[in-house]
Amino acid sequence: MEAYRLEVRFTVLLAVLLLAAGNIALFFSIFPVEGNLFGFPIMYIIPILSGWFGVLILTVVANNIGNKIDTEIEKANEEEEVRVEKQKKEEGA
Amino acid sequence: MEDTMWRLDNPILGIGAIIVMFLVFYIVSYISNRKSSSVADLYVAGATVGPITNGLAMASTYMSLATFLGITALILELQVPFIMLWIQLILSIPLITIIYGTSLRRMGAFSPTHFIRERYGVKASIIAALFMILVSIMYALGQMIGIALAFEMAFGVPYLPGLIVGGLIIVGYVTIGGMAGASNNAAIQMVIIALMFIIPLGAIMRAMGGDGWFFPPLLYADMVPAMMDAMPNFFDYQFSPKWYFSLLGLTLGSLGLPHLAMRIYTASNLKSARKAMVWFAFIIGLVFSATYAMGFVGVYATQTQGLAISSADADKLTLILNLVYNPEWVTALVIAGAVAAGLSTLSGNLLAIGALLSQDIITTLKPSIPSKTRVKLGYAAVFAGGIISIILAINPPAFLVVSILWAFGLAGVTNAPLIIVGVWWKEANKYGAMAAALVGGILYIIVSPFVFPSVVLTGHGVTDGMGLSGAMLAIPVSFVLLIVVSYITNRIPKLQSTLTTAEDHKLIERIHGWTNVHPKRYNSTVGAAITVVVFSAVAIWSLFPWNL
Repeated sequence: MEAYRLEVRFTVLLAVLLLAAGNIALFFSIFPVEGNLFGFPIMYIIPILSGWFGVLILTVVANNIGNKIDTEIEKANEEEEVRVEKQKKEEGA
Repeated sequence: MEDTMWRLDNPILGIGAIIVMFLVFYIVSYISNRKSSSVADLYVAGATVGPITNGLAMASTYMSLATFLGITALILELQVPFIMLWIQLILSIPLITIIYGTSLRRMGAFSPTHFIRERYGVKASIIAALFMILVSIMYALGQMIGIALAFEMAFGVPYLPGLIVGGLIIVGYVTIGGMAGASNNAAIQMVIIALMFIIPLGAIMRAMGGDGWFFPPLLYADMVPAMMDAMPNFFDYQFSPKWYFSLLGLTLGSLGLPHLAMRIYTASNLKSARKAMVWFAFIIGLVFSATYAMGFVGVYATQTQGLAISSADADKLTLILNLVYNPEWVTALVIAGAVAAGLSTLSGNLLAIGALLSQDIITTLKPSIPSKTRVKLGYAAVFAGGIISIILAINPPAFLVVSILWAFGLAGVTNAPLIIVGVWWKEANKYGAMAAALVGGILYIIVSPFVFPSVVLTGHGVTDGMGLSGAMLAIPVSFVLLIVVSYITNRIPKLQSTLTTAEDHKLIERIHGWTNVHPKRYNSTVGAAITVVVFSAVAIWSLFPWNL
């Protein structure tokens, strides 16, 4: 069940983080801030940067962890097969 | 004020650029099509496309004329809120990939409807397919309008001949090419789109005196003070948090777009699909940021440089800026780029219609049809879908992006819940799926201003027209119905014989990569209950006044 838990937690967490990175404007609409960054109003440039680089970084993370989870599931499948084989042999004996 | 006629003085330049572009595309299509002999080749290119090509193709399919022309028009008319609206659309492919794309790729699905048929049965899949055909046609409609505008400007002809000539050329191209042609071409198209959007934008900024012309997507801060003087409210958010919350409906909607999800199934393997997602995020972020810059520059030109653009010409903003600030040959290339943007998305839309009609409806109802006939049916459906979208574009809405975003909402209501819940919750069954798609879909259509103009949630034209308000009500209703109806019907003894519970459980485990079935996996009642409570609250909130 470890690989399953990892898969569910990773999917929920990544989905929430991606939604947050792409919807910074929602947070600013609730908690507005003043000031400039890189010559732009903060409430303008941060959503744009987060919507590009924030999302890009999260896709790199999703790529790496997604591949890792596939490996974990394959490993869990193999362990389960070995366990079932062993059980069959024991029952046969 | 008299409207200016925006068009190339020398139409040969525009015609030449479009002809050269089409020649390249037709050659790539022809070469790719020679390899297309099966249904899998036609729709998912034999699932052999590499990550960079696929990432570019995903971006190209997604970066439609809505980005090239549509959103800049809304920025011109309604400013920053529509930049904020657009930003979250980058989430589509990343969320599809992590939430269900790799699972459906593992299953070997041709289309989202293929999964719905396996998961919920034939009736539910036909309901979903019919809604998805409507989604694809509404999406294609926006592209056709943009194509007509580009041809109108390039050839110096009125809208209708531009629509018919441009529309028929593109429908012909897609019908001949299939998905392999579309995937290979889409990668080339993405490069053309990026170059013909960003480089001319830099030249426009330079002509206006901007210092950051060498990287237009982000370097226009030096123009901000003049913009603030001329239009102090440009950066205002204008709307309440509720409006910004409703944008999440568009995010969910993008998860249900059939032509977008199909790109993941063309990946050669799961690792390649995930890599393609990274490429997609990089490229689409670059082009989207350039789009916001183009919108900013458009408003800047009207506010500080005396450029007058009528509301009727708002969709042509990108082309007009090039016409005013760049040489004509550059505008000709930009028009070709716009046509490429429409072309790649229309390819995806029309191929999705082809797959939906021939694979998901006709073949489902008549499985004995031979493979060759199915391929022919696919081509016929692609062509028919194109012709329907041309006919609908004869009488276009005010902004081309309206029909496209409305389609997002419908996909979010009728398709996304069935796939997301179907992949992650074993209890979801066909009764829940049919109730969700039918009730949610009909509700969404009823509260849109196109059917009953007086039955709307906000009364704010663009918000209702783009389906933001309708999606905030109908998407949660759809999720809640799917979960509650499934939960109840699973516990009615009389219905047990009509359900395929054991097969469903096996399918869900298999598409997540498991070789055995474990009763505790993908079966959380607590997770389902939390979803019902949260989504019910959102649906109720959508009925309260919006105060826009």
